[in-house]
Amino acid sequence: MKAVEAVKLTKKYKTKTAVDGIDFHVEKGELFALLGVNGAGKTTTIRMLTCLSKPTSGSAEVCGHNTLTESEDVKRIIGISPQDTAIAENLTIKENLQLVCRIYGFDKDKTTAKINEMTDIFGLSEVLNDRAKTLSGGWKRKLSIAMALISEPEVLFLDEPTLGLDVLARRELWRAIEALKGKITIILTTHYMEEAESLSDRIAIMLGGRIAAMGTLSEIEQIAGEEGLEASFVKIADMVGKGEL
Amino acid sequence: MNRCMAFAIRNLKELLRDPLSYIFCLGFPLIMLVVMSVVNSSIPEEAGMTIFRIDNLGPGIAVFGLSFVMLFTCLSVSKDRSGSFLVRLYASPMRSADFILGYLLPVFILAVAQSLITMLCALIVGLVTDIKLDILGALAVVPALVPLGIFFISTGLLFGTLFSEKASPGLCSIIISLSAFLGGVWFDVEGIDGVLADICNVLPFYHGTKAARAALALDFSGDFWISIAISAAYALVMTVLSILIFKKKMRADLS
Repeated sequence: MKAVEAVKLTKKYKTKTAVDGIDFHVEKGELFALLGVNGAGKTTTIRMLTCLSKPTSGSAEVCGHNTLTESEDVKRIIGISPQDTAIAENLTIKENLQLVCRIYGFDKDKTTAKINEMTDIFGLSEVLNDRAKTLSGGWKRKLSIAMALISEPEVLFLDEPTLGLDVLARRELWRAIEALKGKITIILTTHYMEEAESLSDRIAIMLGGRIAAMGTLSEIEQIAGEEGLEASFVKIADMVGKGEL
Repeated sequence: MNRCMAFAIRNLKELLRDPLSYIFCLGFPLIMLVVMSVVNSSIPEEAGMTIFRIDNLGPGIAVFGLSFVMLFTCLSVSKDRSGSFLVRLYASPMRSADFILGYLLPVFILAVAQSLITMLCALIVGLVTDIKLDILGALAVVPALVPLGIFFISTGLLFGTLFSEKASPGLCSIIISLSAFLGGVWFDVEGIDGVLADICNVLPFYHGTKAARAALALDFSGDFWISIAISAAYALVMTVLSILIFKKKMRADLS
């Protein structure tokens, strides 16, 4: 069953085409990675799928709801962790989580239960009553993802979830994301090859606003004729540059 | 309503946990109240200058303090807009009305609390300087300042929506200086004539001060209501304008 489907999705800004007629779908429970260098159109794609930006043409559906005409329905079933940590700095971790629960209309009991659940998943107990601004980058990212997840979304969007984190914090966050695999549909954007390779079920390589290749790691390796995602990515970029793909 | 209240509570907590809120919204106006009272005590009675006497100064400082609430409204909105926090909320079921009310309610509470505390301090200064103020009058100043408070808050929302975190405080400072100068806080507008007096009478600041001084004197004659009506008209126009601009900007952000 398709959780997300994009058809000829396009976004143009005056003279620049940020996303150029991309087609893809994501199955329910799948972890799908949009991999590409900066400016490839990953974040713009996420923005269109999360109703934060209107497509210039084409369409997108999340769990059968059109992002343009049924944005209210889409917003109720998605969670997003934007590229910059989107948290209320002067609130504690617990208050940040409570805020999201209240926005989604959870009652007191459900709010408590969901906060306990997020605390377990992301190991937040030791910092639960600390103000967000006092936390390290790694904790802030965990909180940001927990805030996206606490509303019980059907589809979770993670925009560069480990950008700027040190290697230990990154690995820890990977473990948390891996624990969610299969339970929820996840679309993540990244420019880290290792991240896409280690976490994703399927990968779409974005170059210049287009999807240059898409599939499982082995399918992408087959397209590129190379071994490993990094080598395949470089080869595919080269092939696109020469007009061979 | 739940969403709006959740956002309002978040904004109130952010305000209450920011030390600058206490410094600018309470500390600075109260220091000015004390300092200008000391200045007043140094002015010889023969000079006939009553502008810094506590019955004039208290309501004036209450008006001056309200202008800082504008600065904090502006900072709340522009800070949120500069980060990703609003992006998360834009992708949630929150609507523009939830955002607008969520920003306005906490600063309104702050404005009411600030006016009340300023007037309570004015009562104390009055006791010390042997100019006893009427307690009921001091309390009446608070509702009398509501229209001007709403005007300042809406102006803060407008500036925070239109300008960046860096530009908006500077613009607010201009309004703060203008409101204190043209609001008759530091000089007696009744004692001047010409263009300056006309400007003071056209803008809402002096009417806010006039209404507050009349309320303190429990003088609810025609002049009081004219001043209230003028402040309220400005508040209404600025509120409608700021809401329309906020909604327009939100639509533009999501296009």
